[in-house]
Amino acid sequence: MNWPHKDVIAISDLTAGEIGHVLDMASSFKEISRRDIKKVPTLRGKTVVLLFYEPSTRTRLSFEIAAKRLSADTVSLSASGSSFSKGETIMDAVYNVMAMAPDCIVIRYPYAGIPAKMAELLPCSVINGGDGFHEHPTQALLDMYSLHEHFGRLQGLTVAIVGDIMHSRVARSNVYGLKKMGATVVLVAPKTLLPPGVETWGAQVTTELDPVIPEADAVMMLRVQKERLSERFFSDEREYAVFYGMNKRRVDMMKDGAVIMHPGPMNRGVEITYDAADGARSIILDQVENGVAVRMTLLYLSMGGTVNVD
Amino acid sequence: MAEKTMSGKELGEILHDLAGRLMDAMELWNDVVFIGIRSGGFLVARNVVSLIERKTGNTVPLGALDIALYRDDVHRRPFTPEVRSTDIPFSVNDKRVILVDDVLNTGRSVRAAIDHIVDLGRPKRIYLMVLFDRGGRELPIQADFVGRHVDLPEEKIIKIEAGPDKITIKDVIVSGVKK
Repeated sequence: MNWPHKDVIAISDLTAGEIGHVLDMASSFKEISRRDIKKVPTLRGKTVVLLFYEPSTRTRLSFEIAAKRLSADTVSLSASGSSFSKGETIMDAVYNVMAMAPDCIVIRYPYAGIPAKMAELLPCSVINGGDGFHEHPTQALLDMYSLHEHFGRLQGLTVAIVGDIMHSRVARSNVYGLKKMGATVVLVAPKTLLPPGVETWGAQVTTELDPVIPEADAVMMLRVQKERLSERFFSDEREYAVFYGMNKRRVDMMKDGAVIMHPGPMNRGVEITYDAADGARSIILDQVENGVAVRMTLLYLSMGGTVNVD
Repeated sequence: MAEKTMSGKELGEILHDLAGRLMDAMELWNDVVFIGIRSGGFLVARNVVSLIERKTGNTVPLGALDIALYRDDVHRRPFTPEVRSTDIPFSVNDKRVILVDDVLNTGRSVRAAIDHIVDLGRPKRIYLMVLFDRGGRELPIQADFVGRHVDLPEEKIIKIEAGPDKITIKDVIVSGVKK
């Protein structure tokens, strides 16, 4: 299959065929991480710059490891500790980085739209590592890969996404992707954490978790984003945990073979209890492992081939 | 369009001949493993391995190598080559590796395959076996075991096709311009 994209900005830009292609290829890349010598020479001489304007552990580490396993050079910059915090605009910063001729920029930014704008203006590949409340395409692809790996299909699965839908780019990207792949998505959240217009996303929406649990093949718990919750969206964490947390009682209500997912970082005791996070249904650490393989695939597809270089 | 195909009988003779020469050369099989380059080389390797296993009674390990990530033209081709998986279910350390490809031409695939194998370990020795050698080398690489030397104009391609069981080689097709 020909990969027509220079950039990876949003799941909404990809067709079902393209998503399937990424998921197929990622298995081959996963095998590399299990070798003694976890490195192939494919992207030798390519430079990947990681620009993170928001804190990140998993995504940044995962991209960095992915790039290094493909032999690309990586440079990582975060907002704190760089001149970004001295008041330089994002576009000035980006043009300065561009002057140093990277082949790919991975960007995480607190507001939506910046990665798309960069992709339009820059000759190099741009990969969205999460922009505001818009999209987090690589997370959704690794979630879909993990589901596909577990169930052997996406078509016909029912996936519940539970929690702070309003502030979640992970939820948006997953809804777009899972729907394209033929899965049913159920969004579960208190009314205060459902964004306006959520009914137009094409997912079922409910405020009650318990009736959804026995129906779902996978339950994806979203993090309560304490840093974004400057207003009061629910009365306290204990009440949230009772109504929307994954706990022993709900684990026992799940279907045979159903799994629990979480994009991390977890607030243990809030959206998920210890026994749910560490129990047999949890595929949370598989998600992390698969993240490296999926990001290797995307770096390879974005930077390989002359279409994407010239 | 296919212009010329090779008969099953002729192909069978070539494979038997290759297996025979390998058996003479290897003598002992305790440290010999086969690695076929996907997908044509793997198909040839599978056929030769089953002949050898039948004749010697030994079980001979066979793995498949995908060289897409080791190619030297990743950034020069108009599209990104498909990546399939490497599946080598044994260690190559201190083994005599018979590397198998269907067609030897420029030698660049073999270079990529050798680089890949040494990333997996340190074999005692790597031999190269090919079904067809069509000349046209761009690197100093030679095969140790050649099924048939063929002389073809540059624009022709040789392709081997698997039968419906994915194991037997159904056809050897020589056809015109691909690019």
